[in-house]
Amino acid sequence: MSAKASGGGGGSAGPCGACKFLRRKCVSGCIFAPYFDSEQGAVHFAAVHKVFGASNVSKVLLHIPPHKRLDAVVTICYEAQARLRDPVYGCVAHIFTLQQQVANLQAELSYLQTHLATLQLSFPSQQQPQPDHLLSQQQPLSISDLPSSPATLSTFFDLSTLFVDSQPGRQQQQVTGQFDMKHMERSGSSSSGGNGGGDLQALARELVDRHWAASRNIEAGWKHSQ
Amino acid sequence: MSNKSTRCSACKYLRRKCSEDCILAPHFPATDPERFVHVHKIFGAGNVSRMLQKLPYNEREVAANSISYEAYLRVQDPVYGIAGTITNLQEEIHRKQQELVRIKAEIAIYTAGNL
Repeated sequence: MSAKASGGGGGSAGPCGACKFLRRKCVSGCIFAPYFDSEQGAVHFAAVHKVFGASNVSKVLLHIPPHKRLDAVVTICYEAQARLRDPVYGCVAHIFTLQQQVANLQAELSYLQTHLATLQLSFPSQQQPQPDHLLSQQQPLSISDLPSSPATLSTFFDLSTLFVDSQPGRQQQQVTGQFDMKHMERSGSSSSGGNGGGDLQALARELVDRHWAASRNIEAGWKHSQ
Repeated sequence: MSNKSTRCSACKYLRRKCSEDCILAPHFPATDPERFVHVHKIFGAGNVSRMLQKLPYNEREVAANSISYEAYLRVQDPVYGIAGTITNLQEEIHRKQQELVRIKAEIAIYTAGNL
């Protein structure tokens, strides 16, 4: 059992969740302490440790500025839990789902844009519309008019399309589907929904709440010790 | 196999003998050393070996690819990793949904105006 943290990251609150899980002394300045409290933090950390390893995560966090570490911990926890839930695809499965949604939406957009353009061509604003003209010349658009490209859709579920051969001599698979390296640029931590996004947001909310609670405890502990 | 030219990139990086039944060899060929470097940096060779060992043979390649991809994105963006990509896609979905609403409204107005 871990010794009570005399100078632990949590002050008088005991070892952090990470050190509790690892059964080690939680030293002052423990890099995990602000993000893994001694209650639920151990559960989250268990997943992180199982997938990434404490040492690897510690190295990643050390290379990140302190004000960004909470975001990093949230995303690392998310990835770890996704990988445990789905050992084959991890959270890449979520990307495929989102790509599929993007493709579907784009197809619908293209269809409706064409429809609108057709309407605008058939009925310019200067002319009065003729009902007979409408019925005789325009066939109703149906779902069968949507472009179907099963070959393209199947690439979304083929991991070999994930990589772009951007560097000579590097063995990568070519991207033939919609996903490419452009999507790898981060646009911020905001998330506007989506099924898997709900998991990420819930996890983020929980970790942020615990982080701030832990910060207040640490501050109270320091003041008390002085 | 102790011949250097036939070692997989994992064993080459770890400076160890690459056995014939090396679990990492099929997925980390010597021709792409950077792939293993990313994976080892983020996941660790031991964790990846353990994860692959638990999977049936026919799923290991897919798993190795997804792990490599996650590792690559985490190296590129240490803070958000693959979550950044997910966020981008979600935002794109949101933009397209808004555009859909706009176009549907435009069609409805245009159609109503021409009846």
